[in-house]
Parts: sequence; C-alpha cells; structure tokens
Amino acid sequence: METARFLLRRLVADRTAALGALIIVLLVVAAIAAPVLSTHPQDISEFNPPGRLQPPSAEHFFGTDRMGSDIYSRILFGARITIAIAVIAIGASVLIGIPVGLVAGYYRNWVSDALMRISDIFLAVPQIVLAIAIAQTLGPSIENVILALSATYWPFWARLVYAETSSALNETYVEASIALGASPWRVMLRHVLPNISSSLIVRTTIGMGGTILTAATLGFLGLGPPAPSPEWGRTIAESREFLPEAWWYATAPGLAIFLVVMGFNLFGDGLRDILDPRTRRSTDG
Amino acid sequence: MRELALTFNRLLWLVPTLLGLLLITFTISHVIPADPVAFIAGDNASAEQIAALKAKFGVDKPIPVQLWNYVIGVLQGDFGVSLYTQRPIADDLASRLPATLELASVSILLSAVIGIPLGVLAAVDRNSWLDHALRVFTVSGLAIAAFWLAILFQLLFAMEWSVTPLQGRIDGWGPDPVTGFFLIDSAWAGDWAAFRSAVHHMVLPAITLAFPAMATVMRFTRAGVLDAINSNYVDYQNAMGVPRRVIIWRYVLRNALIGTVTQLGLIFGNLIANAVVVEAVFDWPGLGLYAVNSILQSDYNAIMGFTLIMGAVFIIANLLVDIVHGLIDPRG
Amino acid sequence: MPVCHVFRFCRIAAAAVLALGAAMPTASAGGKFVFANSSAYDTLDPHAVFDVGRVASRINLYDGLMRWFDNPPHLEPWLAEKVDISDDGRTYTFTLRDAKFHDGSPVEASDVVYSIDRILAMKKGAYSLFEGTVAPGSTQALDAKTVVFSLSKPSAIFLATVPEIHVVNAELVKANEADGDLGTVWLSKNDAGSGSFQLKRYDPAIGWQATRFKDHFFGWDMVDNPLDEIEFRTVVEINSRVLGLMNGDFHGTDGYLPQDQVKRLRASDRVVVQEEESMRIFYSIIHNGRAPMNDINFRKALSYAFDYDGFIDNILSGSVARNPAPLPNNMWGSPKDASGYMLNLEKAKEHLAMVEGDIREITLGALAGYGQTEQAAALLQNGLNKIGVKTKIVAETWPVASGKMRDEQQMYDLLFLWKSTYYADPNNWLGEMYACEQIGARNNSWYCNEEVDKLLSEARVSTDQERRRANYEKANRLLMEDAAGIFVYNTKWFGPFNKNARGIRFSPIGNGQEMRWVSME
Repeated sequence: METARFLLRRLVADRTAALGALIIVLLVVAAIAAPVLSTHPQDISEFNPPGRLQPPSAEHFFGTDRMGSDIYSRILFGARITIAIAVIAIGASVLIGIPVGLVAGYYRNWVSDALMRISDIFLAVPQIVLAIAIAQTLGPSIENVILALSATYWPFWARLVYAETSSALNETYVEASIALGASPWRVMLRHVLPNISSSLIVRTTIGMGGTILTAATLGFLGLGPPAPSPEWGRTIAESREFLPEAWWYATAPGLAIFLVVMGFNLFGDGLRDILDPRTRRSTDG
Repeated sequence: MRELALTFNRLLWLVPTLLGLLLITFTISHVIPADPVAFIAGDNASAEQIAALKAKFGVDKPIPVQLWNYVIGVLQGDFGVSLYTQRPIADDLASRLPATLELASVSILLSAVIGIPLGVLAAVDRNSWLDHALRVFTVSGLAIAAFWLAILFQLLFAMEWSVTPLQGRIDGWGPDPVTGFFLIDSAWAGDWAAFRSAVHHMVLPAITLAFPAMATVMRFTRAGVLDAINSNYVDYQNAMGVPRRVIIWRYVLRNALIGTVTQLGLIFGNLIANAVVVEAVFDWPGLGLYAVNSILQSDYNAIMGFTLIMGAVFIIANLLVDIVHGLIDPRG
Repeated sequence: MPVCHVFRFCRIAAAAVLALGAAMPTASAGGKFVFANSSAYDTLDPHAVFDVGRVASRINLYDGLMRWFDNPPHLEPWLAEKVDISDDGRTYTFTLRDAKFHDGSPVEASDVVYSIDRILAMKKGAYSLFEGTVAPGSTQALDAKTVVFSLSKPSAIFLATVPEIHVVNAELVKANEADGDLGTVWLSKNDAGSGSFQLKRYDPAIGWQATRFKDHFFGWDMVDNPLDEIEFRTVVEINSRVLGLMNGDFHGTDGYLPQDQVKRLRASDRVVVQEEESMRIFYSIIHNGRAPMNDINFRKALSYAFDYDGFIDNILSGSVARNPAPLPNNMWGSPKDASGYMLNLEKAKEHLAMVEGDIREITLGALAGYGQTEQAAALLQNGLNKIGVKTKIVAETWPVASGKMRDEQQMYDLLFLWKSTYYADPNNWLGEMYACEQIGARNNSWYCNEEVDKLLSEARVSTDQERRRANYEKANRLLMEDAAGIFVYNTKWFGPFNKNARGIRFSPIGNGQEMRWVSME
C-alpha cells in the first residue's frame, strides 16, 4: 500500500508521465463509452451515401467518410479495436515469453540454448516484416493481426526474462534457497519473477505503443480487419483515394494513433525512471 | 583478440540464423490459403491450365520436397520465380535493393547530421526551452505513424503547395546504373538535370524516414553527452583549463557517439520497417514497395525472398555495428 | 457482330479517315506521348497475359489477324486481308497481307501457326479462349500467305477471339529459346512483333518505350503527324496520375478513375476528358449451389436489399450506368426493356419470409485494395441488416479470391467484382458466367439452369445472328428472373487526355490505348 502511494506520487510529480497516463485513461474511456460519446453511433454499421465526404462541421466534428459515416464516431469505436489488439497481443506475448525465458534462464542446457536461438531468429528480423508475412498468409482479420503480433513479439519478453533470470540466479539469496532444496518452480515464482517484475512492467508499457503502431501499419497495408471496420490504419488507407480534397479523412485517425502511442511512450518513460533506475532516460533524471 | 573471436562467433551464427529464418518463412507461407497459381493463370484459366502451372512451379510436390528444393535453391542464390511476375525473385530483389539502400543511407545521414548536433545542444543547454522543445520532438518522432507522416507531407508539399513531386524516384528513366544509387550515378555521369530530379524526389521520403531515426539519435546523443559531462575525466580537463567548447566537441562527443552507435542496429531496424510503408506511399521502387505489391498479389515466393533479404541485411548491419563499436570503444 | 463470309479491308481505312477528319499529307516530327498506366507491365510476352490493364503492350507492339475497333466494337481484318469461313463453320482460311516484322523479315503463315501453337503450349493468357476449339498442331500454313484453322467443334465466337492471337516472329523467338521454354524468358522483355511501334526500352519497375515502326503494313498516310515515340509508364497512385496529367507530364491515363478525380481533371485547362460507355459490368456473384442461396426467394431478397441508387448516384457520383442484367446494356443481345431490381426492403422481407429453414450468417466477399467492392459489400450488409440477415464481410486479395472462386466449398456466399470485355460477344459474359459446363472454371456461381444452358450452348455454335440475339435476350431475362447474381452497373470510361492529343479511338477491348491513330498538336 505504501509503495503504491509512493509510486502514484512520483508519477504525478513527473508531468510528462502524468500526461501519458491521462491519454491512456482517455483512450480507455473513449473505447468503453464509445456508444455514449459518439454523435452518430449507428454510423458503424449504417451508411448514408448522400452525405459522403463532408468537411468537419458542428454536426460531424471530423467530417464524414466515403460511405457518409461520421469519422469522429468511427474513431471512438476504432479505439476498441486498437485496445483489443494491443492488450491481447501483448498479453499473449508475455504469456509465451515469460515461461520460455524463465525455463531457458534457469536450466542451462541444450533446451535453453535451442529456445534462445529460436527467439534470436525472430529478433533477427524487424518485427513488421515477419508480421506482414504472417498476417498476409493468414488473411486479413483482427484475429490474424493479433496472431501475427503475438508470434513476433514473444521473443522480446523471452530474451528479457532470460537475461534477468540468469543474473538473478547469481544473487546470493537465490543461490542459498536453491542450496536449501527449494524446487525450481518455487525459485522461479518466489524469487526470480518478483525480482524482474518492474522491468517487465516498463517493457510492457513501452511495448504497447510499438504494438499499436505495428497494428495500424498492418491495417494500412490492408492486412487488418476488412471494411467497414473503423480500424484507424485502414481508415487512413481508404482516405488516400480522396486526397487532397478530403484532407480530414486522413488527418483524424492519424492524430488518434499519434496521441495514443505518445501516451504509452510517455507513461512508459516515466515508469522506467521510477521502477527501473538502471536504465534512466538520462543521468540527470 | 577477444573481439575478433566474438566477431567470428557471430559470423558463425549467421548461417544457422538465416537457415532458421528460412524455415520460419517457409512454414508461414505454406499455411497459405491462397491459390496463387490460379491467379497467374488469369481469370479465364481452365483446370488443365492451372495444373500445368502448378507442375511448373513445383507446388504440386510434397511440402518437404518443396522445402528441400527451396533451401538448395537459396544456397545457390536462387529464390525461385515470382508467382506474379514470373521473373527470378533474386533478379527482382537485386534490381530494387539499390533504391532502398540509397533511401536508407540518405535518411541515416540526415538523421546523424541533424540529430547529433541537436542532441549535443540539448545536453549542453539542459532544461532550456530548446531542450524541452527537442524532447517533445523526440517523443513525437517515435510515436508518429510513418505512413501517416508520409501522407501528410504529400498532402502539404506535393498536393497543396506543389514544391516537391508527389512520388517516384526520378523523372524519366534515371541515369545508367553503375552503383544503382541515382544520386551518385547521375553526378558521376555529369547529368545535373537528373541529379536535381533525384534530389527533388528524395526529399520527402528521406525526411519521413529520417524523422524517427533522428529522434533516436538525438535522444541517445543527449544522454551520452550528459554522461560524459558528469564524468571525472571532464572535471579533470576543466580543472586543467581546457576551454569548455573544446571539451564538449572533442572529448565528450566521442564518448557520446559510442552510445549512439550501439543504437544504430535499432535505428536501422526501425528504418527498414518504416521503409515498407514509406516506399508504398511514395511509390519508391525499392524492396518495400516490392513487398507491398507482393502482398496484394499473394506472391508468397516473393514475400519469402523479401523477408530473407531483409533479415540478412539486418543481421549483417548489426554485425557491422558490433565491429565498429569494438573499434571505437576504447573500453573494449 | 455480323458474320459475313468475306471481309474487305476498306472499312478500317474509312473509319480511320472518319476519326481523323480530312487526311492531310504526312508531315514531320509527330512527338511523344506518355501514358500513365495503373498496372505494372510485368511481362511484354503477348501470349502470357490477357488482361485489359496491360493491353497496350500487346496492341501497340503486335498485330493480330483481326482487330477490334471503336465503340460499340466492330471486328475488322487486320494482318489478314480476308477470311473465308466454310459452311459448316469449322474451317477458317485467312489470307495475309504483305507485312513485315520489326527486324524486316516478312510476316508469314508459318508465324501465325507458331503463334497459335505457342499459346496452346504455354497454356497462359488467352489460352482458355481456344482450349477445346483449336487443337495443337491443327493449324496449317497452306503457303506463305494462307493459314487455315480447323476447329475441333463449331464455334460462333472463334472469330471474336482471333484478335488475341498476336503474331510473333517465329524465327526470332525460336532463336531465343532456352531449354524449350518457348522463348518465354526472352519474350517477356523483348519484342518480336510487327506492330505499329517497335520496343526501344523496357524496365519492369518503370514501364516501356517504343518508337514508330515506319514499315508497318497499314502505312502512316492515314494519320496526320503520327507519333514518333510512345511511352507507357507504371504509375500506381491515382493522385500522381492525375497531377501528372494536370501539369503536362503525362498525356493520358486509364479511364476508370474515381469521379472526384475526374472532376479535378475536368477543371484543368490542359486536360480533356472523353466519355464512353464501356463494357465492364459490376455485379455480385451469388453462390447458387449452397443453402440458403439455392432458394430463389433468398436470392430475390438479396437483390431487393441492395441500394443501387445510393451506390451509383452517391458513392460513384453517377459516373456509371445502371445495368440490371449480366450482359452490358450496350452489347447486342441485351433486352432493352429490362428494368431489374430496385432497393425495396418490403419486398425483400416478403421474399425472405418465404425462404424455408433457418438463415445462417452470410459471407460477403470483396476484393482487398478495390475500395468499390468493399463499399458495395458494406452497403449490402447495411440493407441485409435491416431485414434481419446477419452478414460478415471478408476482403481478400484477388489471387486468394480467384483461387476460392474455383472451389465449391471455399467460394464465398457472395462476391462483388467486375467482368471485363475480353472479346465483344455476349458469350464473354453469359456463356462464361452461367453455362453449366463452365461450373468451377468461369461459372463461379454454381448456377446451372437447363433452359438457360440450352439457349447458351445453341448460341455458342450457331451462325444465325438473329437466333443468337434472341437466345441471349431470353437467357438474360431468365437470369434476371432467377436473381442469379446482383447486377449493379456498367462502367463508363472517362478517358483523360492532354488537350493536344488527337485521334484517340476508344474500344472496350483496347481501352483507347492503340496509339497508331493518335497525333499531338
């Protein structure tokens, strides 16, 4: 309890981290309350062809799209997709990466070597390249974007946990508990995992931003959910045909992506300063 | 000696890593639901026509046989035939690699030339308005979607103000290829009209790509300079009466650069990832555009080739970064 | 197309003069024409591809025995001087004109034989048009100027497909064969034709350039100031093509731009937009072989649930013409009085109520990257939503979709797409889309109606024009009555050209890209 309050105070004191947190909270609120906050919630599934490509106005804050739907409302609903993709993909990567890293770091044998080599191969290529190959193969849908992202992101966590586990095993108290006959699982769950949790949290937060960007890129390339999904990346791709006249069509979803990714990056930076002092963003803090 | 051994070790790992990569891409591409052969045959194709093509591309054989053939082929520099263009993929990739490398080089150069001095200024003038402004810039540089930035640039500079071309790499057919880098080839041939045109076309995509890279360079330069300024060594130099400017540019920067060099791998990875979409938006005839077109054609041979080449380029680049790092870092 | 037994050459000449106004004596430099094309010229082999998007390399570098002209398209002898057709409709004897290939060697009957046999051996491009009709090795050169096609079965559409037999220089191609590849590698980037233009430069990533072939058989007297050089560049992005035309870098581009862009072009004083009704219909395939779409009432409900006006008038800004039947309105055999379906949710509900059994979720297919198909699917989803039919949209790339289209299990419940003109005969649409024998190949609707099939197979072999017309009209009506597909529109072609360009001749097959008639002022 004490530590939580301490963390909170530190966060509020760091203005940029607080701003990041605020953006994230707003994103979550926007996603949950999309039906209430949106001005034209029916525009997600119903279209109004005569009112297509209207510029921003009091009626349509961000204008209308090629089907005559309200872009502002669609962006709110798009936030749901963004959150779902990022949370599930990161969650899955963490769930795969942590056990792999723990096992590989704890037992130093050929299995751990093999596991780390496999993750090295994945890390040898920029994520987006493999994600494109996977998403392309499976076909465009939200599920496949999540699959592609999880398949390419888990090695990050495996690597991180592996390195931290290896170094944790050298700590005297861990050595001691092993000597006292603690089971491997007990050592991993009781001693190693708590020890590395803060760097995991930091990485996960910063990873969210990257995942959202990659997911939007896949959507832009036509590998995300199909029309008429309000996914942000695909909305930008749709808009290109109508530029330069319908400038608002591309602008609004791009700003949404920008703000959300920045939110996670700022928040992650702040968290790192507080939780993981070894890798502060700069020595003066 | 130790570095040499390490480098050698990494070189040894190159082969299994690439083979593993090959296995991954092959696995991915053979879950494919598409029937690309039916597509090449055209929408008026008959069943017989399709069967003949399948035999020709070897996609009628058992999967292990296909994998074996593919690995043997790649080892001989043969990435197979594009299902769409019917040309050898190795040729397609080779002809498009220079365009991507030229764009990436200019972007890296741009991000270094702008990012390093700005990073130093931010560190030296810590907490000044400039430092804060640059911090906002670095944070947004990493948060902005490259394809969106590319479209915004097009919207403003090409469509609204018409000061740059909308897309493409050059007007006309470009200079005769010597290096494949249009800037070098046109200058070499003394064709200044082509050179100007190449520069003109390069501006928007290079800046788009350089944007996030610049942010990373600036951030690490700033951190490195701050680290160095706070070191005992600098205190000592200060005490010896060496002018502060000399200390900063001569001693501090060198140490700061080492930190930035270690990030080059990361920067390069981001650059390549962004090149895919940036090339697509600017219709830049490089590997990224090739990949995007291959996606639209479900040309899985081509996508495999692209992934392998990107993997190889990326792995080699990281290797080079390690070697350079070993050379310039006196702490070794 | 009137099938008379002897064609004479004069008609094209007359058409050319008509198109150009009074012919002036040929003058000097005719200039260069740069065309911005939306699809990439991945190969220049005229026998490897058969799509409208890359027609320019075929019709400008190569000649066929016959050629399509103008709109509505009419078929004329081209490399052939005349054609004699036997009474049983199975033997076609073409007499060649004096013509030269680009290397100066004469075009002979043996080149025609080599070309058709090459198509049959490669099994690509236009192969399917001749499969089952022309057997490999059945075509004979009687002498240097006479070539005889002996068809395996009578075919009313054979002549209409002859323009796709682009004649290649047999000796030249054979000299460049490698490992019995029929010269495919070499011909994919070189030119072995006799066409009006001669290849100068080619780069698959950029496009190709060609210069005027002065010794072309048709001569150049007819054209005042013919072009000296043509260039077809690949420019994928619509905005670049439009901007390039507006600032004069390009002189022409494809005529299927979004209406908002056409508006921009019309406003430019450098550009003139020509308008023609093309023959490229937009429709939705319905999988007639699967429940619930095998129930006519469900298909009618589908047809009544699509907002045709909203799609045509609003989303496409009225740039296309409603086409209620599978056959383009401007093709003969299309019933003039057919009105077709309109958006009517009440009627849709009535028909839906008559469908037996439960209705599951319906999969609406669209082509990824083709915004119109996605918008049409979304609009149909909207309509079906209102009558209580649940749907799911799946957008996949064309290769994926075209693979699934051939598989009864994998085919989507519905799929929006276009059907273009490969040859201007009703069989191009009706016979391929709905004949029983084409099921799983080009009939992707799994539609087989005995009555319709009888009409179509009769028309496919009959030489009686009136009977063919009557059959197609009737088949058209039956298909509409059956709601075999959702038939939406026929494309209009808005060809944007530099205002100095003269003599553009549009035909739905050549898409206005045959450059030999064009001059620049």
